[in-house]
Amino acid sequence: MDQRAILDHQFTVAAYVLTWAIQLGYLAWLGLKWRGQKRDAGGSARNPR
Amino acid sequence: MEPSLHLPVESAPPAPSYTGSVPTGFSMKKLAIGLYAAATAALMVWGFYQAIYVAPDEQTMHEVQRIFYYHVPSAMVAFLFFAISLAGSIGFLAFRRNRPDWAQAADAWALAGAEVGVVFCTVVLITGPLWGRRAWGIWWTWDARLTTTLVLWLIYVSYLLLRRFAAGPQVQTLAAVLGIFGALDVPIVYMSNRWWRTQHPAPVFGGGEDSGIKDPGMMHAFLWNLVAWLAWGLLILALRYRVERRQQRLAAQEAQEALNA
Repeated sequence: MDQRAILDHQFTVAAYVLTWAIQLGYLAWLGLKWRGQKRDAGGSARNPR
Repeated sequence: MEPSLHLPVESAPPAPSYTGSVPTGFSMKKLAIGLYAAATAALMVWGFYQAIYVAPDEQTMHEVQRIFYYHVPSAMVAFLFFAISLAGSIGFLAFRRNRPDWAQAADAWALAGAEVGVVFCTVVLITGPLWGRRAWGIWWTWDARLTTTLVLWLIYVSYLLLRRFAAGPQVQTLAAVLGIFGALDVPIVYMSNRWWRTQHPAPVFGGGEDSGIKDPGMMHAFLWNLVAWLAWGLLILALRYRVERRQQRLAAQEAQEALNA
């Protein structure tokens, strides 16, 4: 495998990995927000002001 | 009419059942969401397989051209979600006085569309330079397509910052106006490499006889990835919408509790 093909491969892998990192990172952030809301809603129901 | 507190036993409303239709409906909904998520995951795997192992090697760019199968569908899905944000923003402005419930739902769609659109647009702005570095020898150039895409991303990031940090009763209205003006950049981005001479490759669709994908194998891989990313995008869009609606309900509940205190 020549140097050009190795670099092409590395750049392609980087693009795919970064795409998934962004998408899954966002999904994880949404999941955390969802869990936080459930916790807040539970706390509000148990301790009404 | 005041509800009677002394209903006869025969006419009393039935006690809520927690073993009948409610849990079944809930389970059906969860099942449908689970099936959709599983189908989306399968599509993503299939799309990846098509892009990496099935699509033929491009003659001049070779392997790095395969970035295209993630880059272009991400751009298309981002455009779609910015259009949803535009519709939500218009809906909010239209319903905010007469139909507050509809206005809140429209606002949630506007926010969800903008946020998920920014996620996809970020993917576009990262995968594009990675491809450009190998194909052109540079990470970035200030040509019309790249610049208008960056401006689009900045507009929607400013929309999200406004939603996050501004306070007061006018935030939703201001955000809706910004969302409408931001969406005006979408057709400019789309048309930029038709209107101006750019370094960016020709459009995949609607760019004339010399542009587009000629190889059927490449077209298949592209279409599978487009469907997969659309399915994925709709899944996280729906989730983001649900989160925002719940946030609105919690905020309304807190406001009501503060008033009652």
